[in-house]
Amino acid sequence: MKILVIEDDNETGAYLRRGLEEHGHVVDLAANGRDGLFLAAAEAYDVMIVDRMLPGLDGLGVVKTVRGAGVRTPVLFLTTLGGVGDRVEGLEAGGDDYLVKPFAFAELLARVNALARRPPMAQIETVLKIADLEMDLIGRKVRRAGREIDLQPREFRLLEYLIRNADRVVTRTMLLENVWEFHFDPKTNIVETHVSRLRSKVDKGFEAELIETVRGSGYRLRAAA
Amino acid sequence: MRLRSITMGTGFRLAAVAATIVLVSILILGFGIYSTVKGALEGQVRGGIERDMADLAPLVEQAGAAALQTRSTQDLQRRFAYRLASPEGNYLSGERWLDIRKPGWTEFETADGVAREVPFDGDVLVLTERLRSGLLLSVASDITWIDGVEDSLLTQFTWALLIGIVLALGAGALIAQALLRRVDAVARTANAIIAGDLSRRIALTGSGDDFDRLAITLNAMLDRIAGLMENLRQVSNDIAHDLRTPLARLRQGLEDARARARTTDSYQEAVDRAIGEADGLLQTFSALLRIAQIEAGARRAAFRPVDLSDALQTVVEAYEPAAEDSGRRLIATITAGIVVPGDRELVVQLIANLVENALCHTPVGTDVAVSLSTDPDGSAIAAVTDNGPGIPASEREAVLRRFYRLERSRTTPGNGLGLSLAAAVVDLHRGALSLHDNQPGLKVEIRFGPVSHVHSARGCS
Repeated sequence: MKILVIEDDNETGAYLRRGLEEHGHVVDLAANGRDGLFLAAAEAYDVMIVDRMLPGLDGLGVVKTVRGAGVRTPVLFLTTLGGVGDRVEGLEAGGDDYLVKPFAFAELLARVNALARRPPMAQIETVLKIADLEMDLIGRKVRRAGREIDLQPREFRLLEYLIRNADRVVTRTMLLENVWEFHFDPKTNIVETHVSRLRSKVDKGFEAELIETVRGSGYRLRAAA
Repeated sequence: MRLRSITMGTGFRLAAVAATIVLVSILILGFGIYSTVKGALEGQVRGGIERDMADLAPLVEQAGAAALQTRSTQDLQRRFAYRLASPEGNYLSGERWLDIRKPGWTEFETADGVAREVPFDGDVLVLTERLRSGLLLSVASDITWIDGVEDSLLTQFTWALLIGIVLALGAGALIAQALLRRVDAVARTANAIIAGDLSRRIALTGSGDDFDRLAITLNAMLDRIAGLMENLRQVSNDIAHDLRTPLARLRQGLEDARARARTTDSYQEAVDRAIGEADGLLQTFSALLRIAQIEAGARRAAFRPVDLSDALQTVVEAYEPAAEDSGRRLIATITAGIVVPGDRELVVQLIANLVENALCHTPVGTDVAVSLSTDPDGSAIAAVTDNGPGIPASEREAVLRRFYRLERSRTTPGNGLGLSLAAAVVDLHRGALSLHDNQPGLKVEIRFGPVSHVHSARGCS
């Protein structure tokens, strides 16, 4: 993937570039808003990673301008500001996701991957299918290999999120934010316990395990079982 | 210096303005009295002369100079002086010195010595009329006494003015000094505080006047500032103390790894441990920042109706499996449809914190209950209760402080910020958080403001 990173802190910028390049991405690095804006307008990127606090033109301004010019590239905001207001502002300016510093690199990578392969907005699905798993979003029913699986509402949402991000690593924080709308870090292992319950319902008694744990990062639902 | 500071002060200027007003009033009053008295006295004399002239004129027309003689002898008090002159103005009878030839009113001063024969010895007012026979008749009266009255009036007013100036200046100085003393007292206190004595407060006179009220307000402000400073000092101490331990552990671990680790695996293990410690530190910092941010109150501007029932239900659902896995029970008794204005994200974190506390600090087998209801006055009451060991009454206040941890919790994970954060969130919502003895166990009760909306009570548990 071709990724534009707009980050004024040299060390963070270099760290991001190194990490992303190690994972096979092509990275352009801009150290301020104006350079970033120029690159974003001139080249086609798959994902943009934008720091919110930039000298000169700040991250919000960059993304607003880019969106105003009709560029649809997904944007991930990086920030030290983690309040609701800041997040809302970022999303309203045209950002697609938000990551608060300090972050683990695995978290960033998972979010970048999720953004890059986000399905087009217009596509409305009522049934999700993956391997031998079938999820009816309207009837709220789940079947695997023809056998009906009974899920709690929150488990249903968890599975839906995993299926929508099939074959991508989904981090604990992503799950907390998207499934429970928790914007803090619980001390209790609530994600782990929910995933293990879901696993016991979805995977137990079947040959292939769909939900796998990615050590140090999170979970991944395998499409090719 | 002292005089300069008095003359420059507000008190002196006020006093000077008041004194000037008093003096101008005395002047206006004096001038009014003076001209009224003068006018009244002169009017009286003119009236007397006119009446005498009206009496005498017909007699002189009839009897000529003889009438004048008779009149002079009759006027024993010698109030008036008379003169009769020929049409040309030549003396015929009466006082020779009264030599006025022009008809009408005349005021003149008698020459020295001339008037010695009569009690006229200064200013004289004369009315001269031409009779039908053509003779000139003059009637005069002494008005020197009016001058005397005027003089004494002027003297009195001058004295009044002088005394007024002295009194006004004196009073002004006293007022200025009194004000200055009060202001000086405030300034001295402020200077002492600037110099570092934060315990100083402005002394009250007990009179309850404006200065006392100002002093009470200022003292309250100083108390508030001192409280905040104390809080800040406490937090700085706590941070220094509570962050040093994990930092030291982190350093120790890294040092150990460098000295002893031989294999990639053992390095990896050491790095993982270090990352764990660093994450813990970052979490503590973000909790502190979050508390500070919440305490600043800015988020209140973004308050929206929050479905408390739904928020609590979400938390219970999220923690149920974890509670069960850890051998505890999480029970919910939540009245549906209770809505209050607030910040959903913070309310969720608040309840999650309390539930986590109850799950972390109680033995296996404990029941934790989350409940929500409205009380008769319309407030929403949320409670998280457990039947664990509880918190001793003496420590219930202290656990709300940052970094405070019960002796028995020192070994369990946590940073001692959970309840401080909960307290800050409740405060932001203008609610009240209280800890009670659940006999046995702990009951944390949160009273929110009046419920803004209750919709259909669907059964929910």
